[in-house]
Parts: sequence; C-alpha cells; structure tokens
Amino acid sequence: MKDFPQTVDAYADPAAPHPDTRSPAAYLWWLVRDQGVLFLAALLVAIVWMIPQALAPWMLGRAIDQAIVPHDNAALVRWLALFALVTVVGASSGFVYHTLAVRQWLVALYGTTQLVTNKAVRLGHVLTRRAPSGEVLSVASSDSNEFGGFMEITVRAASQAVAYVIVAVLVLVTSPRLGVLVLLAAPAVVVLALPLLRPLGARQALERSRTSTLTSMATDIVAGLRILRGVGGEERFADNYARASQSARDAGISAGRWQAAVDGVGVLLSGLLLTGLLWAGVREVGAGRLTVGEFVSFLGYGLFMTQPLRSFFELVQKGTRALVSAHRTVALLDQPVPWSDDPTEVALPAAATAELTDLATGFTARPGRLTMVVCADPERTAALADRLGRYLPTEESAQVQLAPDAELKGRAARTERRRQRERRATLAAQERALTSTSWGVTLGGVDLGEVPLDAVRERVLVCDTGPTVFAGTLQDALDPHRRLSLAEAEEALVAASAEDVLDALPEGWQGQVEERGRGLSGGQRQRLTLARALALDPDVLVLVEPTSAVDAHTEARIAARLGGFRAGRTTVVMTASPLLLHHADEVTLLAPEPSPHPGTDATVYRVVATGTHRDLWSHHLDYRSVVSRTEEVQR
Amino acid sequence: MSVRSDARPSGRGSDLLRDDLAHHSASTWDPTRHGAHERAVPPELVPPPRTVGLVRRLRALRTRHLLRRRRAEHFVAGAMSPDRGLPIATARQVVTFLGELLGRRRGLLVAVLLLNAGAALASLFVPRLLGDLVDRTASLLALGRGSEAGDTATRAALVVLAVVALQAALTFGAKLASAVLGQGVLAEARESVVRAILRLPLSRVEQAASGDLVTRVTRDAGTMSDGVRWALPEAIIASVMVLLTVVAMVLNSPLLALPTLVLMGAATLQVLRYLRRAPAAYLLEGDTYSRINTSLTETVEGARTVEALRLGQRRRDAGRRDIAVSGQAERYGMTLRNLLFIVMDLAFSLPRVLTLALGAIGYERGWVGLGQITAAMLYIEAVWGPFDMLVHTIDRLQVALASTTRLLGVAIVPADREVGSDRPADPAIAGRDLRFAYRAEHDVLHGVSLDLTPGERLAVVGPSGSGKSTLGRLLAGINGPRTGSVTVGGVEITTLPLDVLRTEVSLVTQEHHVFVGSVRDNVGLARDGSTDAEVEQALRSVDAWSWVESLPAGLDTTLGAGHQSVSPGRAQQIALARLVLADPHTLVLDEATSLIDPRTAQHLEGSMNALLTGRTVVAIAHRLHTAHDADRIAVVIDGRVAELGSHDELVALDGEYARLWEAWTS
Repeated sequence: MKDFPQTVDAYADPAAPHPDTRSPAAYLWWLVRDQGVLFLAALLVAIVWMIPQALAPWMLGRAIDQAIVPHDNAALVRWLALFALVTVVGASSGFVYHTLAVRQWLVALYGTTQLVTNKAVRLGHVLTRRAPSGEVLSVASSDSNEFGGFMEITVRAASQAVAYVIVAVLVLVTSPRLGVLVLLAAPAVVVLALPLLRPLGARQALERSRTSTLTSMATDIVAGLRILRGVGGEERFADNYARASQSARDAGISAGRWQAAVDGVGVLLSGLLLTGLLWAGVREVGAGRLTVGEFVSFLGYGLFMTQPLRSFFELVQKGTRALVSAHRTVALLDQPVPWSDDPTEVALPAAATAELTDLATGFTARPGRLTMVVCADPERTAALADRLGRYLPTEESAQVQLAPDAELKGRAARTERRRQRERRATLAAQERALTSTSWGVTLGGVDLGEVPLDAVRERVLVCDTGPTVFAGTLQDALDPHRRLSLAEAEEALVAASAEDVLDALPEGWQGQVEERGRGLSGGQRQRLTLARALALDPDVLVLVEPTSAVDAHTEARIAARLGGFRAGRTTVVMTASPLLLHHADEVTLLAPEPSPHPGTDATVYRVVATGTHRDLWSHHLDYRSVVSRTEEVQR
Repeated sequence: MSVRSDARPSGRGSDLLRDDLAHHSASTWDPTRHGAHERAVPPELVPPPRTVGLVRRLRALRTRHLLRRRRAEHFVAGAMSPDRGLPIATARQVVTFLGELLGRRRGLLVAVLLLNAGAALASLFVPRLLGDLVDRTASLLALGRGSEAGDTATRAALVVLAVVALQAALTFGAKLASAVLGQGVLAEARESVVRAILRLPLSRVEQAASGDLVTRVTRDAGTMSDGVRWALPEAIIASVMVLLTVVAMVLNSPLLALPTLVLMGAATLQVLRYLRRAPAAYLLEGDTYSRINTSLTETVEGARTVEALRLGQRRRDAGRRDIAVSGQAERYGMTLRNLLFIVMDLAFSLPRVLTLALGAIGYERGWVGLGQITAAMLYIEAVWGPFDMLVHTIDRLQVALASTTRLLGVAIVPADREVGSDRPADPAIAGRDLRFAYRAEHDVLHGVSLDLTPGERLAVVGPSGSGKSTLGRLLAGINGPRTGSVTVGGVEITTLPLDVLRTEVSLVTQEHHVFVGSVRDNVGLARDGSTDAEVEQALRSVDAWSWVESLPAGLDTTLGAGHQSVSPGRAQQIALARLVLADPHTLVLDEATSLIDPRTAQHLEGSMNALLTGRTVVAIAHRLHTAHDADRIAVVIDGRVAELGSHDELVALDGEYARLWEAWTS
C-alpha cells in the first residue's frame, strides 16, 4: 500500500509511467488510480467507520420496540450488547480511517510537488521561456493541496453514499411509504441547494485571488523596503495596501454572505425534511402502520441524512476547485521538450583538439586558448554565449500563463484558456523548428544539434549573467557534485578571488549559504558562482561578464589568475573590461554588418577583427572606442 | 565533467591561502562527503520492519513520537527566540491588540454572540419538540386514540417548521455577522502590520537578511488570516453550541445527561494534552512546507543553472529530502491527532449505548419517558459535532496566536534615532573620527575623518571588506557611528527626521526594485504629493519619458511581475528618476557600476549624468575610470583612509592606487 513520502520518477526516468495529462478530469482520475490499494483501503475503513452511525437510529428504534416498551430485560441486554459492539468497532476504526486519509492527502500532495520538480528539471532553461515561475510554483504549493483535499472528500463522500444506501434499505424495509419520502426528499434537498454553490464558489475564488494579491503586495513592499525607507513613499504604499486589503475584505464578506446563505438554506431544507418525516411518521404511527420505536428511528435518520448531504456539497465545491487546479497542472506537465533525447551514433570529439565555431557570426574559439569577445551591444555577446551552449534564446515575452486570471469567469475564462493552449502549442512548434535542423555551432566539426543535449552539457559549460546560488553549505555551493578534494576547491576559490566568502563564515566550508545567495553581496555571489564554474573544470567554459559586479582590485586579481587556472582548456569570456582583455590569448570583436539580404532589417553581427588586446587597442579604432566607452560610463 | 587529473588526496590544502585562512579551510572541509547522500531524517525515525512483533513496533512508534516531539519543540523554541532577527511580541501584547480590535467592534461582537446563541437555542429546541411528540403519540396509542395522531402531527409540524425557519434565519444572520467581524478584524490587523513594517528603523532595514520578514508577511500573515477568518467565528459558534447543548441535555433529563457529561469530562483531559502539543506540530508542518517551497523556487527560477551544471538529480534529491522532513512533521501531527481521536471517538459513541441503557432502566422505574430518551439521543448526536469543531478551532487559534506574536514583533522594534529640532545651515557633510562595528569589539572603521566639499565628486576605492561601504552608510545617515560624528550643515545627521534627511543625502545601492504598481507610484514615491508634471520631468531627465509614453496606459500602466514587464535598463532608469525627484544635494553611490548593468550601460550614460550634475557625489567605485574622473579619490584599506587626493596626486604618490592604475592601463 502506498505511503508518504513516496518516490516519484515520472519525467526523470524515461521508463517510469507518466501521469495522464490528456485532460484535467483525466489527471484527477489518474491521481485516484495512482493511489491504488490505498484508495480502496481508505474507502473500506471509512465505510466501517460510517456504519455504526448509520445503524444507530435503527438499533435505537428496535431497542425501544422490543426491549424498553415491553420491559423485556433479556432483549434489552441483547440489543445493548449488539449496540455496544457495533459502536466500539466503529469508534476504534476512527483513527485507522484518519491515518489512511492523511496518507491519501499527502501521497497526492507530495506526489504532485515531485512531478513539478521533475518536470522543471526536465525542461531546464526552456521552462523559464515558457511559463512564469510564480505559476509553476503555485501548482506545487497550492494546487497539490487541493488534490489532497479532493482525495479525502472523495472517499468520505463515497463512504457516506454507501451509508445512504444502507439507510435506504433499512427504511424501505421498515416502511415503504416513509422510505420513499426519505430517499427522494434527501436528494431533492441537495438539488435545491445546488444553485447556491456556484455563486459561492465564484466569490470564494475572488476572495482567494484578492488575498493572494495582498500577499504579493506585502512581499513586494518587503523586497523594496530599502527603497521605501531610503527614498520615501511609505504613506503611498501603506495606502495602496490598505485599499487592496479593504477590497479583499469586501470580497471576503461577499463570500461570507453566500456561505451564510448556503448554511441557512441547509438548515432550512434539512429542517423541512425532518418536519415532513415527523408529520407523515406520526400519522403512520396513529394508523398503526408504524411502531413508536420505528418512528424514533425515522427521526434519527432525518437528522443523519444531512451528513451525506453536507459531504456531497463539499464534494461538489472541492471537486470544482480540484478541476481548476488540474487545468493548471496539466498545462504545466503537458509541456513537451523541444528536442528528442534518442541516443545518436554521433559523439563530440575530444575538446583538447577541437575548435568551437559559430557559423552565424564566424566566431571561433581555438582549443586550449583563452578567447574574449567584445561587442558594443552586450546583448549580442550574451546571445552568442547562449548559442555556443545550445540554449534557446531567453524571451520572457514568450511566456504563457498556465491558467486564466481568477477574476475571469465562465465563457471568458474558457476562451482565454483555449487561447493560452494555442499559444503554448505555437511556442512549442517554434522551438521545435529552431532545434530540428542543425544548430549552427560546431565543436570539432560536429554540429551541437546532432548529439544528445546531455553530451553538450557535459562538455560545454555556459555561465550566463545570473546564475543561481543554491542554499546549503559553502562546500556544496562550490562543489555541488561532491567530487573535489580540498586542494581543488581552494584552487578554484582562489582563482575566482572568493576567499573572503570562506573567511566570512565562522563555520567555514560548513557555513550555510542562504537561498539564492541572499546575505552575500553582489560581488561575492558573482565570484562564488565563478569559482563553482571553474571547479567543475569543463572542457569548454563560456563566461558572460563574469566580473561585472566586482571591484577593480579584485577584478585585476581574477584576470591574472583565470588564464593560469584554465591553461590547456578552451575558455571564452564575453567582456569589455580592459583588466580582463589584457590577459586574453586572443580577442574577437563582434560588430554589425550590412545585411546580406537587402530588405530584411535584422542587423547581422559578425566577427570583424581578431588579435591580442594590445594589437587591437593600437590598430583598431572601433575596438578602441567600444572598450573605452565602457570606461567612460560615469563621466 | 572530469575531475582534474592532478588531484591530490583530499584533506590536504592547496598552499594558496594565507595561514589562518588555510587552517580555517582545512578544519571545516568535510572530505567524507564524496558521493555521499545526505540523510533527510535520522535512522531512529525509520520504523522497524513489519516482521517484528506488534509490541515492539508500538514501542518503537512511541520512541519515534517522542523524538519527533523533541524536534518540533526544538524548532518552536528556535522560531520563537527573540535574539534571532526581528523581535517577537508576547502573547499578552497580542491579546491586548486583539482586544482593542474587538473593542472597536463591540456592537458587532455582541450581535455575533447573540445571533449565534439564538441559532443554537432554536436548534436545541427541535429535539425537545420531537421528544414531546414521541411522548404524546405514545400516550395516544396507549389510550387507543391513534386516529387523533394526525392533528397532533400537523400542530407539531407547524411548530417545528416555525422553529426551523427561525433557526435558518438566525444561522444566516450569525454566519454573516461572524464573517463581517472576522474580515474587519483581519483587514485592520494586516494593515497595521504593514504600517509597522513601513516604520522599521533605517539601520534595521539595511541589514541584509529580509527572509525573516518575508516569512512573516506571507506564512505568518496567512496563518493569522485563517485563524481570524475561520477559526475565531467557528470557535465562538462551537463554544456557544456546546455550552447550550449541555444545558439543554441537563434540562431534558439530568440522569440521561450523565454518561455524556462524565465521558466528555474524561475526554477533556486528553483534549487538553493534545492542545498543549498541537501548536508545535502545526508550526513545524508550516515551516517544512515553506522549506519545500523555497527549494523548489530555487530549482524553478534557477532551472537554467540546474541544467548547465547538470544538477537535476541533486535538485530532485533535495526536493525529496525536504518532503521526507515534511513527512516526519506530518507524522508527528498525525500521531497526536490519532491519540486524540481514539479517546474522542470512544467518548463520542459510548454515551449512545450508556444513555440507552440508563434510559431503559429509567423507563422501567418510571423516571424518564420515551420522549426524554429520544431527545437525549438526539442531543448526543448534536453535541459532539460542535465539541469536535471547538477542539480543532482552538488548535488553529493557538497557531494563529503564535504567528501573530511574530507579526506584531515587527511593531515593537525600537527606533534607532532620536529626532532633534536643528536643521542644517548648509549642504556640507563632514565625518569626524568615525568608528563602527557590526559585531561588538570588531571595528570595521578605525577613526576615519573626511570632509566633503559641496559639489565635488569623491571616489572611494579599496578592496572588498575594507570598510568603504560602511563609510558610505555612515555618510548617508543610515547608521550612526560608534564613536565620532557625521554632520550636515553642522547638525548631527542621525537627528534629522527622515523626510529632511532624504532631501540632504541618499544612498544609492545596486538594488533597483520595481514595485508592482503604476509608473506614477513607482517614481512619485520619492516625494509625497508630487504632481504628474514633476514625475514626467524626472522621467524626461533620465530619458525614460518616451518609453512611458509608449506604454498602454502611460503613467497609469501597472509595472512589475505579472504586469508590464520592465527590462533591467528601464528599472535602472526608474531608480534614477526617483532620485531626481527626491533631489538630495548629496548622493552616496555604493557599487554604482552594478546599478549600471554592463548590458545596458550605453543607454544609461545620459540618465546617470543627468542625476549627478550639480550634486555632491561619493562614488564607492568598482571601476577605476570612475576614480580617474573624480575630483578626489580616497583609498580605503583595512578601515582607514590610506591615500587621499586627486588622480594625478595619487599616481605621483606611487602607492596602492598607482599600482592599480598601472594594471588597468598597461
């Protein structure tokens, strides 16, 4: 039987079965099937737990009729014993049911969280192109909880449906007339109350969405607190927050009004049911068709029946929310990877002898050398770095939301959902087009697009401008693969001139680095990620502006150490800093060229000069102006 | 990627570090972690195999439960210890605070209580009516007048119908009033917390870690919100219900109420034990979920880094470890609840049997009637639902209380400065004999004195950790010095009220946060009551006006995450426009080159120039050209000004600066 925390391998292990993402309903059904025996066991125990409650009114009636009224002590003892037995069995199954319900909830919750993790890892840099990370995270943090709740209510409602059937049989056997009344009136009561649930659900959704807006506002205020306290604007933002807070309050009161209406109508309807029962029951007793005990049983059922009804309300509400959550989840999990991962025959040649060439710009990095690339437009060198590492271009504008805004309703929401689905499909098609033909970057003559992506990642490491520092010990931050010796780690640390990070932590290598390197200065973060990249010691290392946040003293030290550390390996650095350029084996200048295809306005950047920093500085005017311009930024 | 071939045995250092650091490094490096997988939970928390006997397994479960309890209590002690980060309010302060909030809504509170009591009374009336009906029907039957039952039924039905209608109306009113009360209290509470955050002292805000504060405004605010919105009203309803049902039971028949009272009393002991333990369990659970969230956030936002460094398996393992830890917290809570449920379920269901037995005996002796038995049985069913609800709302309220102590803690941070009445006579800033320490006994500045000439451009250069940023913060009035003084126009800078200080000097860091809000709010925040024309002027002067004009709603366009996206370059322009609007005569630029992202450098040259023109500028420089262009350069090394003078003077001095300059230009 499944238990938490289980291990989920879908999207990580190709052999592991994937969830069914053909539709939101299919995903919910898959979640149920995925629980397997656990679901059935929980259902069984829930039924055992419900039965005493369903049987209690009946036994009470029998006891009154057969033992209490006729003063039959032997029968009384018999009935009491049976009643006690059933009651104790039911009561002691309570904690087993609770245990299984918690398991169900957490298997669904933790499972979905792991699916999101696996999918995020599987998609890698493509994920940030496609979906806003906030939405991806909300699938893991809030939608997964909805699924847990859905599992619990499904079992509870199903067990109560069974209880309902048991009661139905009992009342039909006792009195067909009243039985029919109970059986028909109870569902009728549900149907009558159903129309209220939809507006209630809509208002609750609005309240949730406004509350989450509030949370983001507060987070935003905290994130920008230095500015608000430093430059001003506290009043303005406090007022903005107060306005949003009041509108969340209004939404909450509006949802509360509908909830009060649903509860009030629930009381009224179950009261009507009870009244009908007692009216008809007393008449039946009077006519001699029903005993007093049976009548008492019916009254008990009249009260008991409200319980399955309430669970049914809950099932409808939570089911609707789970479907909304499943929409978002499916939109995330269904995203395809833009390239195939089939192993190919082609292998990358040994890098020590292989040139890295970009066909579009004509850029070439010679094996084992330190090459630096200068361009007046830093976006171009960043794009070149992406191409060298076979990364799809970063386009945040391409992102598609996973679900429509919570304030959209009905048809508008459906239209928006369809539009999002279509945009996702278009985006995926564009990406496939980018990756299906040759990539346009070769290592030793082999196009990077012809080998599996993992083989490229193994050989070529591209560090973009914003690498993430993960929380953990400093040792893990520098050596995430746990393969380095102390000496190697120190060498990398010193090459990146990041000794101060080690020095600042009283626990040294075992000191904790906070998530995303919070608590380190911008410069420390940058040097730590540089040290991490150097320590990995890839065949080809591409660095984008590796010292942009580092002070001149330190930059000079890094520049002096970088070449020695990378000796014999291919290194490409995108930079315009003279301190670094000075140490390059070879410097390449990228500049715009008139488009070879007249009529297309896209400027093509190509390599226009190659040489040492000193050569280019003295002989190439464009180069000189690009490098010196960065020097004059703050004049 | 291959490990370097010249690998030395791990554990031996590289001889590259200075002696004390090399020792620090070698003594903290853990060579045993090679290929090791971290254990998420200690082995004592792994249950024994199912093959061992039940008694041993139960004993092992008890051991695990106690260990989990220690872990939960340890966590709470840590989270509630005031020496870490921001302070935590006392429970008494929270109660006072809530008391004030409720006190302002006394009428509503009374309405909530009365309406709930009314609804409860109405609902308690129904079982009595039904009991009477049973009695009457039975006696009619006994007298052989069963044919009259129809009239009795109609009369009784009408009465019950009226009571039910009243109960429905009162329920509606009670729930609505509770919602209005809960939402009102919640809104006021969260608004006052945000205002408290916006009053935090400058020096406190500038301390790096904002994580604690983020947790407080997200998770703690959420827990408080659940508590106030849901638990508080339901707790009121449930306690009214329990109290009145018990009274109704005793009124119906003290004898038949006996089993319920005794067992409820016995269960209360276990309930109290549970309530003492439960908050720690819930707080720990909440914390483990935010850990799962935090590390998943890293995985998702750093998806590219994960891919580039091939950390996929590591990140999946990390996620699985977080979940394993969370599972342990959940298991603690689950066992606590199971221990509660075993007792509660028995205490809930046994009264049915016992009451029926007592009822039978009582009926035999003529002490009670059938109607009383019926009503008693119906009351038993009616009392436990609210009792159960009461237990659950109280544990939620306890959790909410704990969160609220953390939220209100923000409000009790003491102010870091006393405002005086003197105002600066002129814009000259002077620092005298400045010393400062973040940790006691560890001065990072050792008696620095520095006069700024109005209108000059002073560059501060020096290696990382030399104290140049600290010097900047003292000059900008963020922190007060330990000894010595910083004055502007002859007035101690930390005695100026903030709105005056901001017009004197601003600290500009590498941060360029764009708030979710309109362009107007984003820029106009720098000066209260600024007009659209002033905001436009500020944006024009940093060359950002044409961009704003091109936005769909101009100044009203909402910027930030989830709305109009803002490129880093635009974000920097917004940051600069704020400063133009704030218009301080002195700017302290810390890591200003980081503010100017190299990717956008060329677009920003003009914007930056517009800001700096006509102001005194202290530039803590990363780039030497900044120093080259400055009027004076201060070289700060080890907390002292080692060299001070113009570029030419310092090059002629042939010291630290001259050496660096040579490296830059050679």
